Amino acid sequence: MRWWKINKRDRDLERELLSDLELEEEEQREAGLSRNAALEAARRALGNTLLIREQTHEAWGWAPWERLAQDLRYAVRQLRRSPGFAVTAVVILGLGIGAATAVFSLIDAALLKTLPVRNPEQLVELKNIDPHVENDAFSYPTFQNLENQSVTLAGALAFRKLHNIDVEIDGRSELAEGQLVSGNYFPVLGVKAIQGRTILPSDESAAQNSVVVIGYDFWRTRFALDPGIVGKHVLLNNAPFIIIGVTEPEFYGVQPGEKVDISVPLNAIATVNPGFAATGSRVDAMTAAFRNWLQVMGRLQTGVSREKAQASLEPIFAKSMREASASLAGLPFDSPTVRQAFLQFRVRLDPASQGLASLRRQFFKPLWIVMAVVGLLLLITCANVANLLLARANAREKEIAVRLAMGAGKGRLIRQFLTESILLGLTGGVLGIGLAHWGSHSLLALMVRGRNPVVLSVPMDLTVLGFALAVSVLTALVFGTIPAWRAKDVNPSRGLAQNFHSSAGNRNRVGKLLVVFQVAISLVLVIGAGLLARSLANLNRFYPGFNRSNVLLFSVNPTIAGYKDVVPLYQQILSRISSIPGVRSASPSVHEPLSTNVSDTSVRVQGPTPWQGEVLTPVDIEPIGPAYFRTMETAIVRGREFTADDRDGTPKVAIVNESMARHFLGDTDPIGRMVSIPGYRGDASWVQIVGEVRDIKIHDLREPSTLMLYEPMFQVPEGGSAFEVRTEINPADAQSDVLGTVRAIDPRLPVYAVKSLDEQLEDSVVEERLVASLSEIFGLLALLLTCVGLYGLMAYTVNSRTGEIGIRMALGAERGRIARMVFGETLLLLACGMAIGVPAAIFASRFLASQLFGLNPGDPITFLIACALMAVIAMAASYMPARRAASVDPMQALRTE
Amino acid sequence: MAKQTQPRTGLLQGTLDMLILRTLLYGPAHGHQIGKHIQRTTNDFLQMQHGSLYPALHRLEERDWVTSQWETAPDRNREFKYYRLTETGRKQLVVEESQWKQMAEAVARVMWPTAEES
Repeated sequence: MRWWKINKRDRDLERELLSDLELEEEEQREAGLSRNAALEAARRALGNTLLIREQTHEAWGWAPWERLAQDLRYAVRQLRRSPGFAVTAVVILGLGIGAATAVFSLIDAALLKTLPVRNPEQLVELKNIDPHVENDAFSYPTFQNLENQSVTLAGALAFRKLHNIDVEIDGRSELAEGQLVSGNYFPVLGVKAIQGRTILPSDESAAQNSVVVIGYDFWRTRFALDPGIVGKHVLLNNAPFIIIGVTEPEFYGVQPGEKVDISVPLNAIATVNPGFAATGSRVDAMTAAFRNWLQVMGRLQTGVSREKAQASLEPIFAKSMREASASLAGLPFDSPTVRQAFLQFRVRLDPASQGLASLRRQFFKPLWIVMAVVGLLLLITCANVANLLLARANAREKEIAVRLAMGAGKGRLIRQFLTESILLGLTGGVLGIGLAHWGSHSLLALMVRGRNPVVLSVPMDLTVLGFALAVSVLTALVFGTIPAWRAKDVNPSRGLAQNFHSSAGNRNRVGKLLVVFQVAISLVLVIGAGLLARSLANLNRFYPGFNRSNVLLFSVNPTIAGYKDVVPLYQQILSRISSIPGVRSASPSVHEPLSTNVSDTSVRVQGPTPWQGEVLTPVDIEPIGPAYFRTMETAIVRGREFTADDRDGTPKVAIVNESMARHFLGDTDPIGRMVSIPGYRGDASWVQIVGEVRDIKIHDLREPSTLMLYEPMFQVPEGGSAFEVRTEINPADAQSDVLGTVRAIDPRLPVYAVKSLDEQLEDSVVEERLVASLSEIFGLLALLLTCVGLYGLMAYTVNSRTGEIGIRMALGAERGRIARMVFGETLLLLACGMAIGVPAAIFASRFLASQLFGLNPGDPITFLIACALMAVIAMAASYMPARRAASVDPMQALRTE
Repeated sequence: MAKQTQPRTGLLQGTLDMLILRTLLYGPAHGHQIGKHIQRTTNDFLQMQHGSLYPALHRLEERDWVTSQWETAPDRNREFKYYRLTETGRKQLVVEESQWKQMAEAVARVMWPTAEES
């Protein structure tokens, strides 16, 4: 039977029973009984109609659901009778569940979701490892060997990101994010085109390779979903390309958090970045076996394990490395050490069902810390609502006694209470989902700012909704169990007695425990938030070796605008900018400060001869322009910095940092020493060290001191360049003058990444800021909830002790003493909470150690401040109840008693 | 409380189902008629209340062993809910009857051992 027919069936049954009764009555009267006696007899003959109906309902098979509906109806009625309680509980729960759901939706999107491709669990990422480092780059010949010779992979694909590619559509140009992909990229992933076609293996070998596939978002934002998109011509870095298709809307590339606007075949590298491709030379990217520039993924054949696939790829890879090593012969950077380095590489397969791991690595720890924080917040929420429910259960003691007296089973009573709790939980959950929807976007905004802007979609999908539902029911069970369990201990006869408060004391004991628990957890959260906030402040205050304020950064890309020789342009930009009023000095560098580019390159320093078999120490090489250190205000220890005279044609020079000088030369003066960089630009000649500077944090504030070698960028010109401009005024105010000057020199020159150095530093601590600001928000929320909980408990205590307070006052207790009594009780609760919370925080803060900067996990100042804050909050929460206690009128109190 | 609507002799539930099905073999009948018939045929031995029939009737209907319909009684101008045996009900009756027979025989063999066996 369908459940919606129950009402009709019930009416039917009633009519059926009635007709039976009437028939029986008629028969009895025919037998000679009086009207009343006949009715009586008929009723006896039929039996208990209510019971019959109940048993018939059981026969229909929907009885448990009918009982649930009954419980629900009753629960709704109960909650509507006390809207204040219901709204408070739902809001508190909504905040807790909403916070948890919002954070979970981010975790789901950033850490858990698999790629929207066919059978993502079969995907693996190939790593190129040696005993020291883990690389993810392979050469094109190596990739081809792996792809063609593997018997365990169903397919392999290679790609390389193309950052800031200049796209010109209908005469308007802009910067986009792109990638070079192997012909197998889309077929192996199983990603289809919704317009036109994707790039195919035939494109990879085609001589004419000027085809481009665009992402759905790019199609939507840039072409307004133009249906005639296929066949449209665009310029990529000034080279003509033709759009052949649009990918599915779900597909954002294999790197979660990054977007891919355009994809071009691998061999298009020759047209979009000819300098890099070096087509036709011995270092041609498409033929040089030693040039590792491609990221490689593979799809395992069905039934093949990752280990087995790795074992079968190893010989292919080893052979490729021998070829790569041999292919160095005759090149300037060839040396036994470099050759040996290639032979040490091994291939490793990592699971890649969720795409490449960089986003997961970046946000794994921060997001789980925040999840732990909201978990604790949720516990506080539960304790708060449990306390509210307890207070209500006390008020409902009489109702429970009546129901027990009328024969309600204890099981049924507990179920009724749990139904009410779950109803509260689910209502809170609905509110929570609403809050989470709004909150997850604000959270995402915190992640998005940063050096590598994160592009994530955080939909409220089934996983997230399922999580919210599970959390709602779970919290309801947690906070609902205590009052439900206590309800069954009500004694009907005593409960019905006049003015009887059987378990007020008991209720208070449970309530106090809950409040102590809340204080303890809030303390953990506040201490954690304090540690993280102070770390962030330390990071922001940290001196990175340069002066971070009043520097404007911007980048240009002259190659795109068609420049062959960039040095005159840069010199012109520098001289024009330097003469702007308010600008003190300016300098170019290939990378902007605190960008993530690291070039680990082996160098050799004259003097300390490498011993047999030594792996050359890699150092980071940064090409910088003249007056760089003056602009950055970094101290020069010895010698000089680069000048405009360090250019093509003058003797090659270099500057080292203190760490590098110490590493290679100890205390010896490095000035005048020679250094050589084999394997870099194919030039193994010796250059002279002309200066030594202080260490600066160039990639990351947390990095340990790196060995740095600076080269004059006018001697080794590269395409793109960043400019640092030291201003005397606020860099934002100088911005329009500076950019206007650049535009006046060449309006076609793309200018991007304009920001102040301060902002750049702030962006470099995006994970830290994410965790710190979220734990601050949730810590404050925890404090607020604890405050409410404490207030509720003290107010209730004072209320139920009005009579006692009246007696005390009648016996001569002063009002101050009564107030002190209330404060004293609060202090006791606070002390108990701290006694649990402080050790718990000491334990928990150890997990934060890796996130902290400039202070220890057990930092006493943070602990003291947090405890003091907690105490202030507790006292504030008990102020009103204490005042009420002190203002009790003894006469009135005793009269009501 | 629940015991009052059960037949006094503690009639097994399955047995009541069987009795109802057997009664309906004569043709469609409403609840009161079925009750009266069982009472009369057992000389009121079962002394059951009519009410106990209805949960059983509805259970049988849920199992599709009987169907029901409101029809005007042939002898008076009133509608009653008539129950009819279905084809599955008929088969079920055969099954229950043979099971009951087996049990009755088994019990009888223990209670009154026959001469040929002793």
